Amino acid sequence: MLLRPKTPVASIQQDTGAAVVMVIPAFLGLLAFVAVPFLLAIFLSTQNLHFGSGLGPTWMGLEQYRRLLLDPLFSADFYRALINNATFAVVVVPAQTGLALAIALLLNRSLRGMPIFRTFFFMPVVFPMALVSVIWKLIYAPDDVGMLNTVLKVVSFGHIQPHDFLGDPKTAMAAIIVTSIWSGVGFQMVILLAGLQSISGSLYEAAAIDKAGKWQQFWNITMPGLRNTLVFVVMVTTILSLRLFDQVYIMTRGGPLNATTTVMYQAVTAAFDRGNIGNAAAITVVFFVLVLAIALIQRWFLREEREIA
Amino acid sequence: MGQFGPNGPGCFGQAQIGGTTTEVDNVKPGSRLASTTAAFALLLAVGCGGGTTNATVNGGSGKGTIVVWADQSQSGQDKATQAEVAAFNASQTDVKAVLKFIPDADLDKTTQATSPKELGDVVEVDGPYMQAWIREGKLGPINGLVSAQTIQNQIPSVIAQDTVNGKLYMVAQIDSGLGIYGNKALLGAAGITYPTGLDNVWTADQFTADLAKLAAKNPSGKALDLKLNYQGEWPTYGFLPIVYSAGSTVMTGGKAAGHLDSTQVVAAAKTFASWKPYVDANTDDSAFVKGRVAMSWVGHWVYPAYSKALGSNLVVMPLPDFGNGTKTGQGSIAWGINTSRGNGKAAAKLLDFFANDANVTDYTSGAVDGDGAVPATKTALAESTLYAPSGPLYLFAQQLNKTCGSGPATKDCVAVPRPQTPGYPVISSDFSAAWFNIFNGADPQAELTKAAQLIDTDFQDNGGYQLSG
Amino acid sequence: MSNATINGRRALTLSTRARDRVQVGRLGPSRLRIALSYAVLVPVTILFVSPIIYMFIASFKPNNEVLSGFAVFSPQDLSLNNYLSIFSRFSGPDTGTFTGFLTTSLLVSSVTVVGGLAVNSIAAYALARLRWPGRNLLLLGVIALVIVPFEAIAVPLFYMLDGLRNTYLVQFLPFIASPFSIYLFYSFFAGLPKSLEEAARVDGAGAWRTFFSIMLPNAKPAFATVAILQFMSSWSSFLWPVMVIDDPTVRPLPLAISVYVGTPPYGWGNIMAFGVMMVLPMLVVFLIFQRWFIRSVVASGVKG
Repeated sequence: MLLRPKTPVASIQQDTGAAVVMVIPAFLGLLAFVAVPFLLAIFLSTQNLHFGSGLGPTWMGLEQYRRLLLDPLFSADFYRALINNATFAVVVVPAQTGLALAIALLLNRSLRGMPIFRTFFFMPVVFPMALVSVIWKLIYAPDDVGMLNTVLKVVSFGHIQPHDFLGDPKTAMAAIIVTSIWSGVGFQMVILLAGLQSISGSLYEAAAIDKAGKWQQFWNITMPGLRNTLVFVVMVTTILSLRLFDQVYIMTRGGPLNATTTVMYQAVTAAFDRGNIGNAAAITVVFFVLVLAIALIQRWFLREEREIA
Repeated sequence: MGQFGPNGPGCFGQAQIGGTTTEVDNVKPGSRLASTTAAFALLLAVGCGGGTTNATVNGGSGKGTIVVWADQSQSGQDKATQAEVAAFNASQTDVKAVLKFIPDADLDKTTQATSPKELGDVVEVDGPYMQAWIREGKLGPINGLVSAQTIQNQIPSVIAQDTVNGKLYMVAQIDSGLGIYGNKALLGAAGITYPTGLDNVWTADQFTADLAKLAAKNPSGKALDLKLNYQGEWPTYGFLPIVYSAGSTVMTGGKAAGHLDSTQVVAAAKTFASWKPYVDANTDDSAFVKGRVAMSWVGHWVYPAYSKALGSNLVVMPLPDFGNGTKTGQGSIAWGINTSRGNGKAAAKLLDFFANDANVTDYTSGAVDGDGAVPATKTALAESTLYAPSGPLYLFAQQLNKTCGSGPATKDCVAVPRPQTPGYPVISSDFSAAWFNIFNGADPQAELTKAAQLIDTDFQDNGGYQLSG
Repeated sequence: MSNATINGRRALTLSTRARDRVQVGRLGPSRLRIALSYAVLVPVTILFVSPIIYMFIASFKPNNEVLSGFAVFSPQDLSLNNYLSIFSRFSGPDTGTFTGFLTTSLLVSSVTVVGGLAVNSIAAYALARLRWPGRNLLLLGVIALVIVPFEAIAVPLFYMLDGLRNTYLVQFLPFIASPFSIYLFYSFFAGLPKSLEEAARVDGAGAWRTFFSIMLPNAKPAFATVAILQFMSSWSSFLWPVMVIDDPTVRPLPLAISVYVGTPPYGWGNIMAFGVMMVLPMLVVFLIFQRWFIRSVVASGVKG
């Protein structure tokens, strides 16, 4: 790298001024519309408040938390939700990322029509999750009328019987996982594709000259080159996957038998179906703390390598 | 009538933050807590609009513009409401009604989230949710506002549903009917004797046995459609009558424990769960019309589609008797007045108009692609062909005529209103969750006890949801 | 990483040429490889896209034929009835009109996106590339806020903004500043080579000049990504409008679809038609931006 003179001290002063101005609009917006409401939610989690009630909130202290974490009447559902969330994240993050990587590798050629294929794989991302859920609810419909059942029957020459995917506790979560992966893989694929195409081709050339096989090239060139991209993709996908709500609300309503209930689903139904604001707020606060912990742990393990110029 | 708090739900009310303490509170309000609380109070006071006045019976002048919140559901009913409002506006110049439709799936949430002063003057409300809105100051008594003739003409089941502490809050154009539709051909082919009216109802055991017979004869292997594809209020509406038919109640003396989870209900739940192998998932909502099942447990609103598909092959039967006689549901949407906005008299004129014979008949009959709902006025009911003694839906009219009202569900009465309490949304939510879990194989006793405890805890938190006045 | 970026542009050319060199030399197997690639790609893509095809076809079919196995793909009974019924169902100010819903959604989403791009990008630039006291603290705060789901703040936000019911303002104002957008911009800016700005800084350009003349032109993929994501999020937003909007004339699209989902009889065909109409504008937005997005993402290399 060429030598660059040190940046003058004066510009650091200027930086602060400009930085403050640049940051103020977003800062105010975040403060007013995200931070303060969240603080208010924390406050509400200590209250007993019925949504829409003309009566004000009454103090409940940490009772909501006690119920959520310690009282079997409430905590059984909550812990099941946590387990479901964990299962979902643990399966979806590697599976979706792996699939996205595979598709990106497949598309990483200069064949004709690549942009068209890229567009098709990205299309599901443009669909709102609610609409995706409705379409897949039809696909998973039980009996012969459901699309998936029909497909399975045809490819198995009638051997595979129709199955109620969403109504069977054993398959409901898997069904939701498949839907979610279908919906999100395009987004990751595009980012990974960009990462792939930024790896210097000369590295591959050199490896080919050294008679390195495809697998070796993959592990020693592609993966390290993709490292930062992968880290970004994994972290973002993890946080987003923990917020699982729309699919569950539309396709299974948390069932059957709590097989697909999630933390956000419980928070929303507590607030709007049962009108229990304090309970819902407590759920979201616990959720926040947990996800924050996970994100911090992840970041610590997967620290990105940034060049310090 | 009593106070519901000086402010509507958009506001906490200055006086009530950090107000009453409960037994649970062991924390002495430290100064830090007090200042935080004060800060939030300030924030909320700023964020809240002005408070509303109490929901007093100040009727206004009887003239002016009123806003009408209507439930947007069946296209035929929507058109009927639109036509009625237009006719109302055309028939006089004192009151102008401005109509606003809210999709049915959003109506509850939106009404819940709206303060009384922002809510319409006239609101269409689903019967059992009425008390919740009363408690929030969104509905007021209409006894002095709506004409006595209108009130007298309402059928008893509707009066029972819409009255609290002796005061009437809503006027209805329809009531609902719930029963089991049957396909005569399929029933006959399986050799089933089925009830033809309220005199020869079938017992739960007989019903269960018949299901097996019907399923055996049907290539689909199914016999019954329970509208599992419906969401929202359906499971409670459709299956809560079983609790009463089993000889129990949902809540008595303000407690669900010991009632919702009594041995009779548990036994009935087990029977219900045993039907699962014979029940069609009905995702395409046409299991019955396509002949995949011989029976369909559902309300009046499917009658036009069913009768079109099956014609004279259609029969309507009462629900099975789980020990305490056959029981069925009642209650539907009705019109209430948001008296807190001060336009009670004008709004009442619209309600009187809605409840007159021409409109009720219009709304319910096939003339406007109606949905077979039971007319809620005595005169319209008497003239209805659907509900005449020789009519196909006479059973629904009979059932409503034998309403249990607000009294206990005896062996003879048939239609049971859903629990009348402002805490109804919680009951509905917890009951339907438990009921579906049981249907999917969970242990009935555990699920029902849990539901009862959840309901009781919630009621305790909210002081039993007392309605003052 | 900066090496790779700079070389990225060159590398792309290199690698393409390198591959061409390889392929030109061997005719037979390379044609086979190409054919194989297509043989795998085409069916996989079609399978992948089939739910979307299903939705489109079902929207032209009568309600009771949507769920009928493969029969739904048959070219019989195709009609525009589902679409027409949407227009006839929503016909006046009492129910709202489809064009009204569309206008509201378009207006709200556009303002959210335009405002969001402006506000979030400069904030992210300041966080990523400028030094100032409190920077790290604010960055941590933003990252923490990324985790807060909207459902957690919906009700408190509702209590705060209740005075603004039934306006366009209440539908876009809370969503312009977005922690996730800031984080996306931040990751992108942090990944750009410092050398890009250093020349300008040495010449005495201030932060603003640097942002507009150096950062912006290089940040097209980030802008495209954030635009698409924020547009989608705003377009499909349901929970918030259902609480603060009751007036049909300022109602956004997703609220109206509830009419077909709430009460029976369910019109699956109607729902699919409504879904198609809801998704078309987003597809259009995406197709416009994807030229920017995918091609320039490829060209300049987006990294975490």
